[in-house]
Amino acid sequence: MSTLHKKYQPFITLICRLLLGGVLLVAGGLKAFKPSESAGAVAAYKILPTDLAHLIGYALPWLEIALGILLIIGLTTRLAAVVGTAIMIVFIAAIISVWARGILIDCGCFGRGGEVDPSKAAEAHSAYLKDILRDLGLALCGTYLYFFPYGRFSIEKPLHNIEEQ
Amino acid sequence: MAKQAKATKASGGDNFTRWLVIGMVTLVVASGAIFSVVGEKSKANESFAILNDFKVGPTVTSTVDDANGAGITFNNGAAKTVDIWEDPQCPVCNTFEQANGEFIDDLVRAKKANVVYHVLSFLGNESVSAANAAYCAADEGRYLDFHKAMYLVQPVLENSGFYSTENLIKIGSYAGLKSESFIDCVTKGSKLDKVKAAYESMGKYNVQGTPTVFFNGKLWERKNNGFILEEFTAAFEAS
Repeated sequence: MSTLHKKYQPFITLICRLLLGGVLLVAGGLKAFKPSESAGAVAAYKILPTDLAHLIGYALPWLEIALGILLIIGLTTRLAAVVGTAIMIVFIAAIISVWARGILIDCGCFGRGGEVDPSKAAEAHSAYLKDILRDLGLALCGTYLYFFPYGRFSIEKPLHNIEEQ
Repeated sequence: MAKQAKATKASGGDNFTRWLVIGMVTLVVASGAIFSVVGEKSKANESFAILNDFKVGPTVTSTVDDANGAGITFNNGAAKTVDIWEDPQCPVCNTFEQANGEFIDDLVRAKKANVVYHVLSFLGNESVSAANAAYCAADEGRYLDFHKAMYLVQPVLENSGFYSTENLIKIGSYAGLKSESFIDCVTKGSKLDKVKAAYESMGKYNVQGTPTVFFNGKLWERKNNGFILEEFTAAFEAS
């Protein structure tokens, strides 16, 4: 790894943590107290059986909040980043799936969600692309954190730091 | 030596932290989900309160006309025909029903017109379940009551778990449907073939959304954005 990267790595890690963690925390927070919206949003993807979709709709916001907090404070960053990246990949796959099947929905990423009026098809399609690109960016942040989990202002310190103290 | 021991201890501590965090996260997610489910259940129960003073009418027999998109048909052979296309989850259909439901109810009960209800299900799984239950209710002569009760408790959000088998049976119980045959029909989805046929007939009749109304086969073209009773009544009289 170049020395330049070595110099800036803790800051890049911090930015990635704040980006991925911040988005997860906000997305979860907006949905956690509107469980019926969240359950309906997951069901609207028509991928899972309705009951299972509702259960995930109820649980997902809390998982997002928990991961968001862990990433922001920098505790078990690597684990949180792996799980965060995994759910981003699931989101991307789900959006591609509805797009390919021609279903018109609002992704429900930050609350609301559900069917979209057919007259707004063009807007829904451009929203799919934006959602995919955003989630892809966040998944890349998560991947970076897997390789470089230790950065500025994190509770967790790399092992060699502890040894040096 | 000391350094190595410290490292081992640190890595042990790290493992402990990891499991602690996994445990905490699991706890948060599980309790959050339970909190949400319980909250939704009690909210659903509250929404049923509106049905406490629901009054059922006399039973009205209907037929299901497979040739006419499996519509639920009342007073077949009456001079004037009113075709109504609705989806149980469509909020605008609810607006339409709140404005004109009483009038249509009277058309059916007083045998003033041949009214056909086409119960659609393009808004997702819960529309399918609710439409199936509507057909079950029609079999027992209680379509009008069930339909009215169903719109009274219609949830704001689609496919959010409200039109579950359990809740559909509960709506039925308020609408005078307590028989084993109704419960059985809702539970087993006995009318799903009719639901499917109704949905598939949309193209044939060129129905693109809900609610859609035809008077004697002619599309009702509203002048007003709302569903004003006067406009609906006038259109019916003129047809």
